[in-house]
Amino acid sequence: MTSEHLDELRALLGSDGVLDSRAARFTYEADALVLEKHLPDVVVLPRSTDEVSAVVRWARARNLPVTPRGAGTGLAGGATPERGGIVLSVNRMDQLLRLDAERMFAWVQPGLVNLQLSRELSAHGLYYAPDPASQQVSTVGGNVATNAGGPHCLKYGVTMNHVLGLVAVLADGAVVTLGGEAPDAPDFDLASFVVGSEGTLAIATEICVRVLPRPAAVRTMLFDFATVEESCRAVSAVIAAGIIPAAMEIMDQHTVTLVESWLHIGLALDAGAVLLIEADGPAVSIDRQAERIAAIARAQGARSTRLAKDDQERAAIWKGRKSAFGAYGRSASGFYIMDGVVPRTRLAEALAAVYRLCAERGLEAGNVFHAGDGNLHPHVLFDADDPRQQAAALDVSHEILRMCIRMGGTISGEHGVGIEKRPMMRELFAPQDLAAMARARHAFDPEERLNPGKILPGEGESDPGPAQLGGMRVRPDVEGAWI
Amino acid sequence: MSRALPSMLDAERTVDPAGYALGGRAPRMALKPGSADEAALALEAATRDHAAVIAWGAGTRIARDRVPERYDIALDLSGLDRILEYNPEDFTLTAECGATLATLRQTLAARGQELPLESPQAARATLGGTLAANASGPRRLRFGAPRDRILGARIALADGTRIKSGGKVVKNVAGYALHRLLCGARGRWGLFLEASLKLAPGAESRVALLYSIGAGEIADAERWRFLPRLEPAFVTVLGAQAAQELPLQAGLIPPFAMVIGLEDDAAWVAEQERIIAEHLGLPIARLEGEAQAALVQKLTDAELHLSPRVSFTSAHNNPAILAPLISTEGAGQFVHHVLAGRLHWYPRASGTMPAEGSALFAAFGFTVIESVGVRYEPAEPAEGAILALRARIGEALDPIGTLQVPGR
Repeated sequence: MTSEHLDELRALLGSDGVLDSRAARFTYEADALVLEKHLPDVVVLPRSTDEVSAVVRWARARNLPVTPRGAGTGLAGGATPERGGIVLSVNRMDQLLRLDAERMFAWVQPGLVNLQLSRELSAHGLYYAPDPASQQVSTVGGNVATNAGGPHCLKYGVTMNHVLGLVAVLADGAVVTLGGEAPDAPDFDLASFVVGSEGTLAIATEICVRVLPRPAAVRTMLFDFATVEESCRAVSAVIAAGIIPAAMEIMDQHTVTLVESWLHIGLALDAGAVLLIEADGPAVSIDRQAERIAAIARAQGARSTRLAKDDQERAAIWKGRKSAFGAYGRSASGFYIMDGVVPRTRLAEALAAVYRLCAERGLEAGNVFHAGDGNLHPHVLFDADDPRQQAAALDVSHEILRMCIRMGGTISGEHGVGIEKRPMMRELFAPQDLAAMARARHAFDPEERLNPGKILPGEGESDPGPAQLGGMRVRPDVEGAWI
Repeated sequence: MSRALPSMLDAERTVDPAGYALGGRAPRMALKPGSADEAALALEAATRDHAAVIAWGAGTRIARDRVPERYDIALDLSGLDRILEYNPEDFTLTAECGATLATLRQTLAARGQELPLESPQAARATLGGTLAANASGPRRLRFGAPRDRILGARIALADGTRIKSGGKVVKNVAGYALHRLLCGARGRWGLFLEASLKLAPGAESRVALLYSIGAGEIADAERWRFLPRLEPAFVTVLGAQAAQELPLQAGLIPPFAMVIGLEDDAAWVAEQERIIAEHLGLPIARLEGEAQAALVQKLTDAELHLSPRVSFTSAHNNPAILAPLISTEGAGQFVHHVLAGRLHWYPRASGTMPAEGSALFAAFGFTVIESVGVRYEPAEPAEGAILALRARIGEALDPIGTLQVPGR
């Protein structure tokens, strides 16, 4: 990056839209996958679709890659500028542009923080349903990139189910509108193809999201079980009864112990597992649904039932769940968080395998997971100063994902493939599958300029994964976690 | 045309091409493979021979009035009709693309589960056709679009290569979602061989409320404002002529009928009925259970019941938006799935609609999705960059142009 280049960028974006100091660039060298660090040449902060388009065209003329970035909470290295070049942060595009409360949609900028969107909607009795645990920090644009889920996606679906349309900048700088406010578009659905493409096909600069009426009533319950297996069976039994609660989350004993010793919210330390079930819906039905759920949980062995009696208690219960990540961060010098999916009915089996695989390698592991949709998040703990433990943790992470594949699941439920899971793509997909995906990607970005190298393994790529595992960077100032 | 094609497939797999005529022109050959292997072989041979293929399910939605630019082979995939995996506890189902919606529904009904897809003529409409056409019905808002329900698919590319996209679990962000790209692609770029779907629980209570609506009432936006927030399963408004197709006519006074569908737990459905009665008065008729389900299918079927037809999509969710348009043309002939944002309009005569027609609809926020038996050009052409992008995708996935689509 020459000083001439920087001047050109400042002419496009204003001098405060261009960061080239080493300190600034270090801030953007990684997302939450801290073990993969690559310095960008420059960081830009556009304020509009036109500015994003101008940057992309500028980058194209100088053959530079562009890595889009929201809040950088991603756990797979999706926002890491692996090949240097430009990091394009959308943090200055953080507004709710237009709300149509009657027709229940909103146009937002990609840098708008997920929870902030819901806050701004609440005065209208509306909210934005996808609630990744990172939602206090993560942005709607970042959520679009990873097709983010969260605990409530069990009932309400993932980000893709709530994106009606996008204004996006393509790799050549062209601005296109994909989808729109109407439920359907004529012909092809390019918007839903871009959602989940981790910034490799287009940069969304305006997003039209569906918003929903806030549920009239909510009941949050906590059950403790002697074993994880029983808690998984309870989850299956609830679903088998035809009940789809808003959320079903399980924490195992290891996690509960860490969380309780930190937050003291009254979790049972001798529980094999704690199951959080939240039901929401019309006031007239909610108590019956909650009673049915509690009866099923008891029939499956729940030793105690705690029903939140007010908003504070509800918040405390959720804080317990969402603090798992932070609790792990306090306990070990290194931990590696994973994101795999198995069919829900095989969850107990998958967890048993996770514990066994870790024990075989002398590693401790805890589990927190979205039990309702089979999305598990094993936390593998290791001593960051011990390279053998690091290697073992890396090795077990691949074995766990292989197990997910064998069970008919997948290697990423919501974090994305990014850099981290790229090698595993060859185990999940056949060469012709990856080739077809590569051709489709190439159609969007023939010069491989947008977030190059992510998702699809390169030709002849054989690296087994991230170079090394260090301690995970935890942000204790932020309540909540991104799992 | 190479002679190799028929020899690759059993003689039974070649069928009479006359039944697959489009625009009065039959293809040279029609094939009905019995397996994914055979389908892939057929495509491979077609690509090698530079033959143009149009894929068929049951043909319930194919516009037969248009002559395709190129059409050598009809590839009928309705023979691939097996249910491959049904996991009721996981709420997932994997089936071959030729399975009919009715067959799938029947399988799920035994476990009290719902197939969250709707298409006219469900007894014949195939899974693959429904996905490829992005078909929907009155409950589009409740279920989502087909792309909201598809978890993954096995797909045959134009050259016969078989690929997998997505998976069979309800959360999956690994790789590019080619299975979603093909929803609505109508057979371009790739063909569904099998698809995995996310299912829905059946509702405890299903009710349909039928109202007669006068011209003044339909135009009264305030009257309907409460409805979307109540989140019914569907709200459908019909012109009187379309309404006559309904099984109920007792007390139905023109010009319009409205059907409000409620599908939920019994207590909430009862509460919704009460609230609706407060706003709208009592319905002239009420159906529940199986009778309601039959009516929902009729409302879905209504899309195709007349030709010519123009179908629109819209972000509007208030029936009053239609009022100014109804007075201009075809007042008796329309079906408006209000919450689904879908309007089916039946102009009285074939021929090209005046350009002002589509502009008029566009000004009210209705965008053309499809026209049958009449040429109805969209008010705004697609953006140049989008057309270029689509062309590049086509070059990437089907460079020879084997897979053609029926005109629209």
